[in-house]
Amino acid sequence: MFKLTLTRILYIIILVIFLILFVSLFRLQIVEGAKYEQIAAKNIFRIKTIPPVRGEIFDSQFRPIARNKPSFNLYLTPGLIDDKEVVSEFVSNNFDISSKEMKEIIFNNRFRLHQEILIVQNVTFEEIVKASEKMNYYPSLSYKTEAIRQYQYNNHFTGHIGRINEDEYKKLKKDGYTINSLLGKSGLERYYESILRGKNGKKVIQVDASGQNLNLFKENLDVPPENGADLILTLNNDLQNFVSNIFPKNEKGAVVVMDADNGGILAYVSKPDFDPNIFSTNISTNEWNRILKNPDKPMMDRNIHGTYPPGSTFKPILATLGLETNTIDSKTKLIACDGGLMVGDRYFKCWWEKGHGRLNVSEALKVSCDVFFYDLSLLFTLDQINKYTKQNMLTVRTEIDIPGERKGFIPTHKWYMDNYGKYVPIIGHKVNLSIGQGEVLTTPLQICAYYAALAKNGRWTQPHFLCKSISEKGTEDFIPETKTLPVSAENMQIIKQALWNSVNQRYGTGTAATVAGVDVAGKTGSAENHMGKVTHSWFAGYASNAEFNISYVVFVENAGHGGSISAPIAGQIIDFYNRLDK
Amino acid sequence: MRNFDWPIFILLLFLLFYGVVAIYSASATKIGNDFEIENYYIKQIIWIVISLVLLYLLLKIPYTILEVMILPFYAITLILLMMVLFMPEVNGSHRWIPLAIMNIQPSELAKINLILALAKLISEKHISDWQIINRSILLSLAPVILILLEPDLGTSLSLIISLFAILAVSDLPFFYIILIISPIVSVITSFSIFSFIFFLLVLIYLLYKSRLSKVIIGFAVTINTFFFFITPVIWNSLKEYQQNRILSFINPMRDPFGAGYQIIQSKIAIGSGGLLGKGFLIGTQKNMNFLPEHHTDFIFSVIGEEFGFFGCTILLLLYFLFLLRIAKKIAGLKRKDFKYAAVGILAYITFQIFVNIGMNIGIVPTTGIPLPFISYGGSNLLINILAVGLILKFINEKSIFE
Repeated sequence: MFKLTLTRILYIIILVIFLILFVSLFRLQIVEGAKYEQIAAKNIFRIKTIPPVRGEIFDSQFRPIARNKPSFNLYLTPGLIDDKEVVSEFVSNNFDISSKEMKEIIFNNRFRLHQEILIVQNVTFEEIVKASEKMNYYPSLSYKTEAIRQYQYNNHFTGHIGRINEDEYKKLKKDGYTINSLLGKSGLERYYESILRGKNGKKVIQVDASGQNLNLFKENLDVPPENGADLILTLNNDLQNFVSNIFPKNEKGAVVVMDADNGGILAYVSKPDFDPNIFSTNISTNEWNRILKNPDKPMMDRNIHGTYPPGSTFKPILATLGLETNTIDSKTKLIACDGGLMVGDRYFKCWWEKGHGRLNVSEALKVSCDVFFYDLSLLFTLDQINKYTKQNMLTVRTEIDIPGERKGFIPTHKWYMDNYGKYVPIIGHKVNLSIGQGEVLTTPLQICAYYAALAKNGRWTQPHFLCKSISEKGTEDFIPETKTLPVSAENMQIIKQALWNSVNQRYGTGTAATVAGVDVAGKTGSAENHMGKVTHSWFAGYASNAEFNISYVVFVENAGHGGSISAPIAGQIIDFYNRLDK
Repeated sequence: MRNFDWPIFILLLFLLFYGVVAIYSASATKIGNDFEIENYYIKQIIWIVISLVLLYLLLKIPYTILEVMILPFYAITLILLMMVLFMPEVNGSHRWIPLAIMNIQPSELAKINLILALAKLISEKHISDWQIINRSILLSLAPVILILLEPDLGTSLSLIISLFAILAVSDLPFFYIILIISPIVSVITSFSIFSFIFFLLVLIYLLYKSRLSKVIIGFAVTINTFFFFITPVIWNSLKEYQQNRILSFINPMRDPFGAGYQIIQSKIAIGSGGLLGKGFLIGTQKNMNFLPEHHTDFIFSVIGEEFGFFGCTILLLLYFLFLLRIAKKIAGLKRKDFKYAAVGILAYITFQIFVNIGMNIGIVPTTGIPLPFISYGGSNLLINILAVGLILKFINEKSIFE
């Protein structure tokens, strides 16, 4: 009789398992073999990624700033290459790419055989016509129509998009980026990459050439792409273009105009500038070098990448510090200005050689007397000034919504000891700092945000470009951060009156900025610096009437006095904005 | 080495050789007329050599020394399993502890460890049925749960399979195993009242035949009915994505962009291989790189495509003879703990072969289990070879007690 021993049970189990595998394999390879052979040969079953449409960028009036424009791109499928040399030769003869670059692309993508690799963007119609006859001999090459980015004018804030590089691809693969993806490389394009991009869709391709459905998957499980959100900026294109045009030709510098009520940027100009479209067109190496090696650095965004001594635009910091600590009050008159002040063994000049006499804080701000602030600074330690400056959000990142912002700098007592030695007469440096010169460095944007906070009686708002983003899912508003500066309402009034006087009263330094129908206040600055003999010209302040409340900064590198160079520009800008149909 | 079992060892060498050939092809890609070959096959050969040296040492160490080390080693493995959860994630799970020269995979250690510990503790003399159940649950619970947390469902399942195989050959009456498994069947059958009633009747019949008291039968029926009713409640309380994840595991075709895609690509590759295959190195589907990891979990698709039904049958035959030979030798083992451990090892190797090939040909859900002795991978290969080494050692040691 058959007895169920352990060995026999094990034999039976193993036999059954292998029979199942054997029969399944027989069915798959022998019975259905021909069907799968056909699918494999025609290479029908595929999953296609459908890229989303990138969101566009508009100004506050829905006028375009960055748009999508169709372009022809040339692609290579490495798995279909017959001969590397011949293909590279053909492509380099007909398109704008060298044979060496082609071979590099082929080598880098040798394990992505079945992916289409972008090799030339923006192929011109002439190139297509020229190459079209012979394209049939190269099954590995194909065209696709895709969108490229087009920027409406020169600027530093949109940034640009570019092809993903290997490092970025490794990091972003999991988010659905492919080796051909374009992504924001700088500016708004980079900062808002995640919402501009949208989400890939997916489609199962399982229909052969004759239209027969393979039915590998019964249900339709395709996922449509989610298009990227459009960005609506607070910027006004008219104002932006006006500012860009009136900025003195051949000068370097920066201008920001900001809505003081909500921190929205209205105009943002840095000169010299460049055309962000150069990144999506095929420009020659020569032209590239011309831009990159230009000593004026056109690619640099002076508003946030440049840090400069703020000159007298810094004086309200010292003035409020004095008032807030009750070191002085509105009536306190400090040492008489006779054209300069002896501090230690050094003589510090006032910009007005004839001297201003004895002044109170309001008068000193109005005429921008240096001696008053030299004397005032002697009543504080360096670290007190340092701390208070940072509390007023100067030499601190504003966290504006474009990447790469610099912090600026203000030294501490320790910094001088470390860098100049133990016995350095710090007092002299401190005196120089009090009028915004020497080691203190700020970005023009920080100055603009500071004066906006003065306009709002101490409420500081994070400057930003984005007003709202609009997508299929709905609208999302940008909500800026706010802070309260350490200045009492009473003291704020004293400072604001002085800044108003500076523009609107006789002997004020900023009288060139007056505009009919608008209440303008501001502070000039002429900062000595190591970049040239002539001072940096600053003018910063705010302007309001019943319709608007804006702040501005006009900064011109090594151009002269703030009152004569920057203030008139500010006046024109305010006047234009006042008359602008908003 | 009088009783060294050469057939098992030689079949093992054949399997390893087959694996190196398959890995060589899997890591080759064809561009035009050139091949790009990644060096996985060299690494695999190095691992094989290291593993065989260790296997030789294993045979030389007296078992009494190994036996003393089983429980401390079990404790160390548990600590490693806890550590691995804090390691950086690779492909969505925490499986590896990176060391200077290699990454170790504690779940692989756990397999062999748990089997040895179980075999030792439940083969003791004068042990009651309840002690067997308690000890096996106590020993398996921690490693199974820790490995599930990684998450590595495949390895957890192979531990459970080994556990049941060991219990099945132990002195424990068979109806206990029926009792332990029955709630799982209840959960599975809960989608249809008829299948559940049918299962319940079979269960009652089996328990009745085992001459159990009515109280125990009644208890079993109550527990199973409870599972039948609670399952839909738990199911409905799951979030939709959680339900989808479970359904996609059972039926990968629900997820065409993930597991379903891989299974179809694997089926196309194997199916298009036909009777004789497309030939060494020139599988078109493999060269299109449709499948990720085709030198590890999907290596069978390369074998199927390039060597065809013929090549697959040879591989199946090698496995079949290898497993039969082990099964035959197990019956001759006199020591209980040897027998239990050998059955546990046999069970998990068989399970891995079935699940991996089954996944490649689309009859089993995807679980990420490599193909024993064939797939590329250091820890897995080493542990599998050492497991075979243990069986060879058991067969060899027999002589001392005879």
